[in-house]
Amino acid sequence: MAGRGGQRHEQASARLAPLTETKERGPNEGLEMSVTAGQQGRTKPTRAGPATASAALEWLWQQLHDVPHPHMLDCGPICQATVDVLLRRGAKLYVTDLMTPAREGNSQFWDRRGKVPVFRLHDFLAQLPEIPEESLSAIFCWHLLDLLPRDVLPGLVDRFFSCLQPGGVLFCLLREPYLAAGAEMMWWLENLTTLATGREGNKPFPYPALSNREMERLARSRSIKTFLTRSGRREVLAIK
Amino acid sequence: MWWEKKSRSIAPREPQPVPAPPVTPQSENSMVEAMSRASDLPAANQNPTLLGQSVVLRGDLSGKEDLLIEGQFEGTLSLQEHCVTVGPHGQVKGEIHARQVVIQGSVSGNVSAREKIEIRKTGEVVGDLVAAGIAIEDGAYFKGSIDILREQNQEAARSFPAASALKAET
Repeated sequence: MAGRGGQRHEQASARLAPLTETKERGPNEGLEMSVTAGQQGRTKPTRAGPATASAALEWLWQQLHDVPHPHMLDCGPICQATVDVLLRRGAKLYVTDLMTPAREGNSQFWDRRGKVPVFRLHDFLAQLPEIPEESLSAIFCWHLLDLLPRDVLPGLVDRFFSCLQPGGVLFCLLREPYLAAGAEMMWWLENLTTLATGREGNKPFPYPALSNREMERLARSRSIKTFLTRSGRREVLAIK
Repeated sequence: MWWEKKSRSIAPREPQPVPAPPVTPQSENSMVEAMSRASDLPAANQNPTLLGQSVVLRGDLSGKEDLLIEGQFEGTLSLQEHCVTVGPHGQVKGEIHARQVVIQGSVSGNVSAREKIEIRKTGEVVGDLVAAGIAIEDGAYFKGSIDILREQNQEAARSFPAASALKAET
């Protein structure tokens, strides 16, 4: 399919039984929605360990408590659990998988004709769906920033910020320097304030860890909030 | 005489009529379920109109029955009260508006359903989804937006304009 970039890939790390449905029932849209089982029964990705509460997500939803229908972008592989959680919240969700081609070093996005391979950021960003400018309340880019070369991060972050409305939040998971492996891990929302992940990854990260100072430079004097965790990653919110 | 006995013994018997097994509602339902499993179609879409694998159709299509697309369709599909299934070989470029949509093939365009949209693991969708329920199977490809059909959008969905161009009543 032309322009699709990210190809379908087997979720080896998260064995998903197929379907679950999200169905709106009550008059209070996004507030009380029941989830019904699909034809093949309940589905949820296979979690490697206990789901962890996320202070960053708690802060995010507090900021959005008066926004009934936030618009959000998920840059990870599509996950039914995350879709369910966000749709139940009343969000309109944009989805495109940027993580998989970044993680796999997709040759479509690398120009290797010269001595030094060059990442084609323009082609990479063409995978994004059409999003109106300054319309998003939040972007979940997970650990995408750990998977791309340094020189493309400013352009990527600028593009994300152009999609965010004032006060919108870029949600990132940045690895600590001591965490050397786990590039293929998949994250999803267990509920609005809880993160879950598949099995522990052993694929090494291709680039050095992003420091807080580098993240501040990327955000270009926008507000940064950092929440430390015990998972070897810190949750970083860059606020427009 | 002995030859009379012999001819009587070898004369074929008239076949006895075998009473037909009673058709019960349970047996009918089990047949429908078996067909559903075999064809992997929703039970509501067991006798759909078929757009075959070699068929290429362009235009606006509306109707009052279920539709299974295994060929190529380009245009607008409007079956508001019925189910549209894009089969594994089906390719649709354009919009789909139906009660229920099941995608096993390729769709490039927006999809809206009053009830549910399902993207199976072989499905590839690029476009916006609007429905009361969304189900995406592992392995499916999707790029676009997902929104829940809300009350204020249902009126817009119901008042989708009838196709004025080529209209094939199926």
